[in-house]
Amino acid sequence: MSREPEPANASAPTQNQRLMELLGMDKMALSSKARPPQSTSERWMRYLGFPAGIALFLLILYVPAGAGLSAAAQAGTACFALALVWWVTEPFPTYVTSLVLMFLLLVTRVATDKTIMYVLGMDVIWLNLLAFILSSMLVKVRLAKRMALWLILKFGKKASSALLAFLILQMFLAPLIPATAARTVMTLPLIIVVAAIYGATEETNNSFGRNIMLLNLCCISVLSSMTMTGSAANLIAVGLIQTMADQRVYYMDWVKVGTPLAVTTMLIMWIVGQKVLFRLPKAEQVPQLPGGMAIVETQYRDLGPLSRDEKKAIAIFSLVLALWMTDIFHMRWFGVEISAPFAALLGAVIVLLPRYGVLQWSEAEIPWHLLIFSAGAYAGGLALDDTGAAAWGVKALFGSMNLKGVPFGVAYTIIIAVMMYSHLLTTSKTVRTIIMLPIIITLAKALGWNPISLALPAALCIDWVVGLPISGKPNVIMFSTNQYSVVDNFKYGITTCTIGVLLLVLFAFTWFPWIGLTPNFWAVAP
Amino acid sequence: MNKTFAIAVMCCAFGSANALEIKAYDTRLDVAPDGLAQAAATLQLAGCQAGRFKLPTGFTGIEHLQLEDAPSGVALKLVASKEQSTVEIELPENVPDEAKITFAFQVPGVLYEPKPEEGQKSTFPAGTRLLRHAFVNTQTTPVAKYSVQVRLPKETLVHGIREQLPKNKRKEFTPRVELDRFDGLQGARLQMAGLKQGDRTSMELEVVSEGRSLGWLLVGLVLCIGYLISFRDLVKPGDR
Repeated sequence: MSREPEPANASAPTQNQRLMELLGMDKMALSSKARPPQSTSERWMRYLGFPAGIALFLLILYVPAGAGLSAAAQAGTACFALALVWWVTEPFPTYVTSLVLMFLLLVTRVATDKTIMYVLGMDVIWLNLLAFILSSMLVKVRLAKRMALWLILKFGKKASSALLAFLILQMFLAPLIPATAARTVMTLPLIIVVAAIYGATEETNNSFGRNIMLLNLCCISVLSSMTMTGSAANLIAVGLIQTMADQRVYYMDWVKVGTPLAVTTMLIMWIVGQKVLFRLPKAEQVPQLPGGMAIVETQYRDLGPLSRDEKKAIAIFSLVLALWMTDIFHMRWFGVEISAPFAALLGAVIVLLPRYGVLQWSEAEIPWHLLIFSAGAYAGGLALDDTGAAAWGVKALFGSMNLKGVPFGVAYTIIIAVMMYSHLLTTSKTVRTIIMLPIIITLAKALGWNPISLALPAALCIDWVVGLPISGKPNVIMFSTNQYSVVDNFKYGITTCTIGVLLLVLFAFTWFPWIGLTPNFWAVAP
Repeated sequence: MNKTFAIAVMCCAFGSANALEIKAYDTRLDVAPDGLAQAAATLQLAGCQAGRFKLPTGFTGIEHLQLEDAPSGVALKLVASKEQSTVEIELPENVPDEAKITFAFQVPGVLYEPKPEEGQKSTFPAGTRLLRHAFVNTQTTPVAKYSVQVRLPKETLVHGIREQLPKNKRKEFTPRVELDRFDGLQGARLQMAGLKQGDRTSMELEVVSEGRSLGWLLVGLVLCIGYLISFRDLVKPGDR
């Protein structure tokens, strides 16, 4: 959906003022304001989204249940479908839709009140909350500003270089920090400031803003598939392949197939994003600061040497980072594993310590609306998983296909596509892995193929949860910046997934048979 | 002398029970609208020797036990218990090494209305009924594969699975309880492999009438009309 161009100078003073504010980073908060509709089609979408959501809810609720689907699973699917339509079309702010979803789950008896309420206490919600305290620290001591200005001075003379710099940064961070939410929160202040320098703020969305937000979002998720330690779900997939297919996947086996796929996709998206999806007009290809790069240089110089608080912040953040990176050694070192939320909790404790800390509670910017949105999305996702609706959907999808006797490449392409796009149905990578991988391994055996030839390429798609703002933790956090719409996210995310599928098919013709992972594309099972 | 003989018989029975192997134990349950279930159990045995063993059923208060198919000389006896009825199976001298035994029985009140404890409020809407099945392997012979398939009465369906135990182990990929349609009727299958003495498996299903209340449709329509009227300014031409 295209947006109408904004008036050239109408909001210039406000925009500049906001830019300087953002660059100062004193008032950096994730707004809870609903994003105003920006085009006629978006206004119609909002208007019709409400009845469309209700219509879909009623349709799913009243249609006769399929075999193997409980009444609760059917009602859960209906509630989730309603929420999905409302999240996409936004007749209400996304967090209000989340609250509606939570209420619906209760009154349709899909989940109990306790199950729904406990979602707000989940580790992911805690991690978000604590990571925002750490993020506030980076903003308050101006370390985020220093890093952003440095990044712009080094790489930001052109928009495409600034985007590439973030791609490289995320590629470097992905193998080091497996928690995607942590990576998001860590880099978000930098992303917001760099976006502002190129004229993209919450009030004045532009193509650069959409590109930088969505490129980072996709990098954070997709680049997790470079290594098998990139996410917990990858390790579960490796475990399932070992247990069910009796084949070991070593670290380098995964890197050989995962890294080229993830990096090539993101490089393609870096180009496709700025040239095709959200074309950068000439004006947006250079920093939009009054005074140009000179002001950036002046501001950077004005920061002077590292302050005492900045050094403290570096030390605290390094401690948390070290705990995130060394989680596999915790049992050996401390006799207990300090999980990602608890590492952040320790950081938050130090940050908030009177006298020694650098932040007061009132200075911490905690976006509660975002946490509520996440809680609703997770409650809905959990309901689909707990009632068996997600598993039923996947089984029904695979069961309806007759792949016996078809060439390997055809079965491979279908399985990869189902695995890639199935992230739109569930909010948990782990659950998706546990449901899909055993089915794929069993299917491969039944079709007469080596299970790893289908299971490992399918496992590479686990982390690609980029289609919707509710598909993963980074998505929820990024969406709260109000710099892009659900439709923008869908467009960029689905393009990323499609490029991934096409590359996986291309690899199945070339790279994978060469390293012995897959048979000939057109081979038929004996 | 009689006492010595009885001990010898018991030892013999115990010994034969140890050598015995239950390869599969499947029960099919057809539940009638009044809650009475007609059950058919099939037992596949290996290493059969003459003797007796007590087979737990996972139900209480079973009635009308009837042997349907078995090698000649096999006899069954119902042993009622408050916790779990058992069937005493006597294998004759000339029993083949591998045997298949099928027997039928009735279980009243399999589908029942949940009653809240005194002073407690009911947490179920009117019309909800529960079906609970808990099997404990009380005898020494392990059960290699155990399953119970329940077919619900017409015009009812499972609202949710309230209990499915034990939780799946890492290497178990089939769900403990699976819902499915059997001859056009909805039902569930509980399955577990490798039940040693003392192991238990259970499921509890919440069963409701098919068909949804029209209240949802009514509320949905009212909300849609209300929204379309009160938010029509969103798409008013010229209004930005």
